[in-house]
Amino acid sequence: MTDKHPLILDIKGNSLDDGPGIRSVVFFKGCPLSCVWCHNPESKKTGSEIAFDPAECVGCDTCLTVCPEKVLSRRNPFFIDRDRCTLCFACVDECPSGALSRVGREMTVDEIVAAVVRDKPFFDTSGGGVTLSGGEPTLFPDFLARLLAALKAEGIHTLLETCGQFNEAGFMEQALPLVDIIYYDIKLIDPDLHKKYCGVANRTILENFIRLTKSAGKGKFMLLPRTPLIPGITATPENLSAIAKFLADHDIKNAQLLPYNPLWPAKNQKIGIAEPKKTTDDSGNWIPREQIMAYQSIFADHGIAT
Amino acid sequence: MFFFQTGKSIDLPLPKPKFSAVHLLLNALLRVFAANFNLRPGLKKYLRSDQGWIDFTIGMATDSGSVTASVTFKEGRVRVSAAIPKKPDTMLTLHSEGAVLKLLSATPTEQIFMVLKGQLSPWGNQSYLNLFFFLLSLLMHGKQQKQMEKERKKSKKDLLKASPRADTRLSDELAARQSVRMCAKDKDPGVTYLEEPYLSDLSLDDFPRIQGFLDIHFETRPQICVELPKLVTDWHKANGYETDNADNPWHPLLRKGHAFRHLMENRKPLIRKNDLIAGTTTTKEIGVVVYPEGHGSMIWGELLTVPHRTLNPYDLSEETRNILHHEIFPYWARRNFKEWVRARYDNPLCQQIDERFAIYFLWKSATISHTIPDFPKLLRLGISGIIAEIGEQLKAFANDPDKTAALEAMILCLEGLAAYSRNLARQAETEAQNETDPARKKELARLAEICNQAPLHPARSLDEAVNAVWITWVGLHMESTNAGLSLGRLDQWLQPYFAADMEKCFTEEERNACIRHAVELIACLYMRCTDHLPLTPDIANWVFGGSSSDQAITLGGVTPDGQDGVCDMTYIFLKVTEMLSIRDPNVNARFYPGINSDTYLKRLCEVNLITTATPSLHNDKTVMASLSDFNYAIEDLRDWSATGCVEPTLSGKHFGHTNFQMMNMVAALEMALNNGRHPLLNWKFGPDTGSVETGDFTTFDEFFTAFTEQFKFIIDQSIIYNEMLAEAHQVLRPTPLLSSLIDGCIRTGRDATVGGAKYNSSGAALIGLADVTDSMMAVKHLVFDEKKITFADLKRAVDDNFENHPAVRALVTKKVPLFGSGSDAAVAMADRIAKFAHDHYWNKPHYRGGRYTVGFWSMSNHVAYGTLSGALPSGRLRGKAFTPGLTPEPHASRNLTDNIRDVARLDYKNITNNIAFNVKVVPAAGDSREKTVDDIYSYVKTYFDLGGMQMQLNVVTSETLKDAMAHPENYRNLIVRISGYNAYFVTLNRDMQLELIERAEYGI
Repeated sequence: MTDKHPLILDIKGNSLDDGPGIRSVVFFKGCPLSCVWCHNPESKKTGSEIAFDPAECVGCDTCLTVCPEKVLSRRNPFFIDRDRCTLCFACVDECPSGALSRVGREMTVDEIVAAVVRDKPFFDTSGGGVTLSGGEPTLFPDFLARLLAALKAEGIHTLLETCGQFNEAGFMEQALPLVDIIYYDIKLIDPDLHKKYCGVANRTILENFIRLTKSAGKGKFMLLPRTPLIPGITATPENLSAIAKFLADHDIKNAQLLPYNPLWPAKNQKIGIAEPKKTTDDSGNWIPREQIMAYQSIFADHGIAT
Repeated sequence: MFFFQTGKSIDLPLPKPKFSAVHLLLNALLRVFAANFNLRPGLKKYLRSDQGWIDFTIGMATDSGSVTASVTFKEGRVRVSAAIPKKPDTMLTLHSEGAVLKLLSATPTEQIFMVLKGQLSPWGNQSYLNLFFFLLSLLMHGKQQKQMEKERKKSKKDLLKASPRADTRLSDELAARQSVRMCAKDKDPGVTYLEEPYLSDLSLDDFPRIQGFLDIHFETRPQICVELPKLVTDWHKANGYETDNADNPWHPLLRKGHAFRHLMENRKPLIRKNDLIAGTTTTKEIGVVVYPEGHGSMIWGELLTVPHRTLNPYDLSEETRNILHHEIFPYWARRNFKEWVRARYDNPLCQQIDERFAIYFLWKSATISHTIPDFPKLLRLGISGIIAEIGEQLKAFANDPDKTAALEAMILCLEGLAAYSRNLARQAETEAQNETDPARKKELARLAEICNQAPLHPARSLDEAVNAVWITWVGLHMESTNAGLSLGRLDQWLQPYFAADMEKCFTEEERNACIRHAVELIACLYMRCTDHLPLTPDIANWVFGGSSSDQAITLGGVTPDGQDGVCDMTYIFLKVTEMLSIRDPNVNARFYPGINSDTYLKRLCEVNLITTATPSLHNDKTVMASLSDFNYAIEDLRDWSATGCVEPTLSGKHFGHTNFQMMNMVAALEMALNNGRHPLLNWKFGPDTGSVETGDFTTFDEFFTAFTEQFKFIIDQSIIYNEMLAEAHQVLRPTPLLSSLIDGCIRTGRDATVGGAKYNSSGAALIGLADVTDSMMAVKHLVFDEKKITFADLKRAVDDNFENHPAVRALVTKKVPLFGSGSDAAVAMADRIAKFAHDHYWNKPHYRGGRYTVGFWSMSNHVAYGTLSGALPSGRLRGKAFTPGLTPEPHASRNLTDNIRDVARLDYKNITNNIAFNVKVVPAAGDSREKTVDDIYSYVKTYFDLGGMQMQLNVVTSETLKDAMAHPENYRNLIVRISGYNAYFVTLNRDMQLELIERAEYGI
């Protein structure tokens, strides 16, 4: 696994949905998984990309003139011929509207801290802090540990969102002592299905989780397993029962079910990925409230609050 | 000559008049008009007042001189001529021949828009202009009313087309907010008697009396009341105005004192059915007060159409219309503030600018009012005690006629107030005798006792104190216009009387009844405050839409000795605010970080959530720090109250006309971009400061200087006008009653209008700080720093309203760091502009001593001034509203925290008249009451911890506002914060509704 400097996709302030209180969320670029439903497709690759948002474009054609490779064309449905694009970003620099933008930028630990520490007064009043998300922050263990240490030095509460696919040795020693809350995704219990839908098997993920449950007992950090509800994939009675049983076996009392967001396919277009095939017949709709309550009861049957 | 007043240079040669078809048509039509009045007795009678024929001349012409006409009214004859006499009383200049045709068939609202859009510029006496419009409407009102009805139907149809079905989930959600109520987790040290300070067990259902008053409030059409102007005018006709019956000049103070006493002795002592408080401001259930020496005659032109207009319609009887037209307005046609200045200073430039609306508006042309009387003194001493104090002081000034007059006038006014109170007591007695319901009979008998005690003598109970406050409030509103006169720290001042009542309770049951009674009594006081409305000519519906008289009440904060001031009455007022959820009184809450409790702040947040928009929240510490250069005694400073909208006044000691003007800063920017010419008015009246087109600006600082030079020019003009109007007030409307209740006036023997108060100032409201800052950032960043575009190209795009310049518009809206985005440079720019304004106003001498203060709030003028402004370098398009107060642009940042941090870190040394920072937050559907309140609290508390000055919330979604726009029947009590005051959303004009909908909305 590479531990070069990560690219930061975005730092989103004023979030009330990514942990307790008012939080800033730092999105890392790059992920070891490739879930078919991923709603942050721009976070999959570790390298920089160019995004084009046709809704923002004012049609001034400045980009067409500045592109040295002439890879931009209004006849191309994705606008950019990414096979020939050298990522020189000349078009991004000259675009007046922001329709062309750079996805992922290098930031030092200090720069990230400076960007989030401005909102520390809000964290303090609301019991909030910083959430590290992605992509997958653990893809960059050294950087992650340095960032966490710097945040802690500022007295900032930290929350890590992870898919669990990390090298446990380094993580447990370096990062874990600096994390207050871990949101840990457990998507599918069946290893074959996990491999099919997420690109890798789930052995490491489940083993890492079990290790964390042992540390969590000591009260240093809070561990919250989360399962995204993807119709026909994760949101099946078999999978959810299996996850609930697995969690109950490891003494977990709280978990979270994340409602499916059907708006994700539109994001792919911007970074040049064709709209993916629908995963199931239902994928264009929100899950009804009654259905979610039925899923919650599966967990409740195992003594787990969601 | 008259029509040079439109701004054409006086040196330009006049184009040779050629008699166009329109010229002939206008003259022919005016002759028809004249013939009607000359030949039809039913119309001719309108040319006469009770004192004789009304003689005046109106001239009309186009800019080019292609059309000219005049109408002369003399001794009951109307004559029309194509020539214009040398000095017409009023001159109408029209920018084109099309405008002439339009004017002749326009509704009053359309006439206003012609003025606002620069198609029509009136000049000269405005009373006569309004009279002329009234005479026109005598012929045209049938057509005008039909036209108004047609427009109303069309607009309703359009709205229903866009949103055919009401979404009752949205209106139900708002209504349901009342049904969940939190309990206090803690008790503030000043809370002695309330077991649970939030009073969560009480709701409106417990108070049928108040529910009845609320229904009246929402269902009664206001009526114009002539009681005040009739009594006062009759008195003057009998006793003279300029001179008395012995032909000696009247001393303005004594004249006012006598006229006021006559008014108070003779007005009807009314007690509203079922009320616990005696006295009314008018004879109507909800009355519109006409102040003839103020802006009263501005309604003259609308006397036939005002019941039919879309916004704010009033009823008036034919008798009222006739009294106003024949007896009142003619008497005051030259005896009002504006016309006094016009006559004395020969229609000065500063006044002409004001009357074009786009640059500044001087509230002093209507009233001063904005201040806080010393209610604690009134409650402590009673009228008798204050008269005794004045009597002592009179001895000291025996040889000074002016001071003697000032003090005698105060006594006359206090005697008038006392007479009114005694009349109320008698009325209560009579009604008690006739009352058959035993419970009400008892209340009326009690009311008679109360009115015999207070305000005549010291108050002893909460009932007496509240009645004393209200009766005095009525008196103050009979003395000067109901606009921004404010009630002050009523929680602090009434707490001793509430405590006295509670100390007399011995059982739990008695205590609960006493608390309940206090809640009901304060609710009655709020409802009393809604018994009058300011007289709003239709133009004000567009400029100050939806505003009531903005009677601010201030709660919480620290006591004069710096202790936590939150007390039982604070929570009782908050309970009433929550239950009633009405726009006026305008409730303001002070919060001192580190001294006031979280329990209190969370309650303020909860009341905002339930009511959607009140109270407004102030940081005590920052407000006081901003005033540290004024040398106010610390104990007086700690006793500040919000006035009108948000402005600080040192309660009972300070005559701070805190809203002497509304100033459009964007006008200065537009003039700087156009070398002194205002584009919409097409009038060059500012200094030469350089041309963008010819490349006069080589650095950003040169352009910034051009802006400050233009700004200086309009500030200076506005201050010249302020001082002229101040003189008019001293002559036409001194305020002896108010002076007797402001510390310093008795001691110095001077009326408040001439500087008798202990502290003096005048406060400006500067509008468009975010728009000017962002525009300056665009110029600096794109033209001078990054050189992405030339100034001339940017100017061209601005002149073209960015049409066909999409890339320039994208550049300015997307690539410039804006105020509210977290940019240090933008905050520094805002500070630089604010500092310039503060320093310039600060250094102007003030006619009463003291200083000019500056604040950044806008009432609703950010919408009106937006309508009157072209596109800006910030990318804001022509005619769009500015941001309210100093609120950042909606697209400055997607993060509320960026907005909050930037506003909080402004240099408040430059902001001495407060701000209005609007934040629209929307609770998540599934969250608990506690979670939602905690979230709101987190933003407000952090903002205060960071040093922010004021914040006002709208807790409502754009979706709900859109539903309310199309289906107002489901939202009669939906209040919204405009910029400093509350209004009922459904009564606002369309532009204001859209501005509220388009404000940034932050989910919580």
